[in-house]
Amino acid sequence: MEMMEEGVPPVINLSKLAEREETELEKKVAEIIKELGAERIMYCMQCGACASICPLAKTGFEWYNKKLIKALIVGLRDELLDDPTPWACVACNRCTEVCPRRVSPFEVMFAMRRLMAEEYAIGSLAIEGLRALYEYGHAVYMTGREARKKVGLPEKPPSTESDPKALEDLRKILKQTKLADLGLIPME
Amino acid sequence: MMAETAKEEKKLKFGLFLGCNIPFSRPDVEVSMRSIFPALGVELDDLLGQSCCPTWGTMPSIDVVGWCAVAARNLALGEEKGIDLITACNSCYGSLNEARHKMLTNPEIHRKVNEILATIGKKYEGKAKCRHVAWVIYKDIGLEKLKESLKYTLDGITVAVQPGCHFLWPSEIYPDREKDPFNPVVLREICEAMGAEAPHYSKLIECCGMGALRSTDPEKSFILVREKMENIKEEIDADLIVTTCSSCLIQLDDAQERLRKEGKLNFSIPVMHLVQVIALCMGFDPEKVAGICVTPRDEIIKRILENKR
Ligand code: SF4
Ligand code: SF4
Repeated sequence: MEMMEEGVPPVINLSKLAEREETELEKKVAEIIKELGAERIMYCMQCGACASICPLAKTGFEWYNKKLIKALIVGLRDELLDDPTPWACVACNRCTEVCPRRVSPFEVMFAMRRLMAEEYAIGSLAIEGLRALYEYGHAVYMTGREARKKVGLPEKPPSTESDPKALEDLRKILKQTKLADLGLIPME
Repeated sequence: MMAETAKEEKKLKFGLFLGCNIPFSRPDVEVSMRSIFPALGVELDDLLGQSCCPTWGTMPSIDVVGWCAVAARNLALGEEKGIDLITACNSCYGSLNEARHKMLTNPEIHRKVNEILATIGKKYEGKAKCRHVAWVIYKDIGLEKLKESLKYTLDGITVAVQPGCHFLWPSEIYPDREKDPFNPVVLREICEAMGAEAPHYSKLIECCGMGALRSTDPEKSFILVREKMENIKEEIDADLIVTTCSSCLIQLDDAQERLRKEGKLNFSIPVMHLVQVIALCMGFDPEKVAGICVTPRDEIIKRILENKR
């Protein structure tokens, strides 16, 4: 355990951590991840197929799919909250396609995002996207009006932009989700 | 004969799902869709009141039920009219179909979603799905009909295809699937039907690095762009990159210019969405259907318009 006392070392020896005695908290993190959508995390056998084709592993992100799964299974949690890797996942699902144990590593990455959101370990860009979704009904919202006019389209697309009742409906939906419980964005 | 008449009578109709990238950032892609589908005999409904799919960085990152509820409201707009949705954005295609798959395979999620939808007087049974423009062209319209509709062809042009991730994986959630999602052929065959050479290249299925990867770490994201561009140049020396994804379009078009400015790339390959290329070949106004880009397209557009069929 002296390793932990010195803070997070540059390379975390996962096998060593796996030998740690399971505390209540450690047992809980994989359970939480399951509840947040990655039901099959415990089926992982660490074969590495998912990592072999993951764009994040390839470009050098620290906690790519296989490694994150191991870390969560052995009970790491606080050590992971500052790392941006899950927020870089492109949701490409190459990993889901090849996993021989049907773990869906993508779901683990996103369950980790959901856990991080609960801990407010969420970046300003993600917050901005959520705010724009609530405000306009479009997460990627650029004024784009000039471009639309240039190509001969009406200024507003036939979306929540042109239909106030639909925007109201969408907001009503969002208010019934965890987004409202977390209070990440102002909702009215 | 009978069969043929029956087929003609059943007019194709879809709800045009726009998403965010296309209407706000690349509305020329929207014009392309609105131009080519009616010309190919496909009716489009505007799906008034549609919203963001929701994209990956929003509700999918917060809450599964919330993700599915936003997606279900969009899908229900089609279901109410008895039609499927159609999109030219892979992210919308992925998020909507993934959400639908969750609802169809997990009754608990589906029930909760319908409880939420009931508060706005809606429901989603799971019937309406989201189709991809490329698949509708390939399967429902057919390559023969596509060919007949062209005024210009891609003869003599070498194309590098970029299907993009959410065209392929995870294959089990999609309404249409490649035989081998790691060796996709649909986009290549469409381009070939239009007269192009569309050879395989080693990094054909590699990710473009857009979206979350780019917003989290642009440097790492541009590594993927550079590798892909160099591979396309070296192996097939393509004249044009054709993609079926609005994110790949924006990334490859915009990031190659950044790389050039930084001196990390010394060549240029124009990038277009499949529907833009089809619109050009059908003779629609290039300014309207392909007028928005960072990497210049003038030369390739000129070449296409010299290829009278
Ligand atoms: S492919 Fe599946 S089983 Fe193999 S390491 Fe990845 S998640 Fe675990
Ligand atoms: S979905 Fe995420 S974790 Fe899986 S291969 Fe793609 S980027 Fe990697």
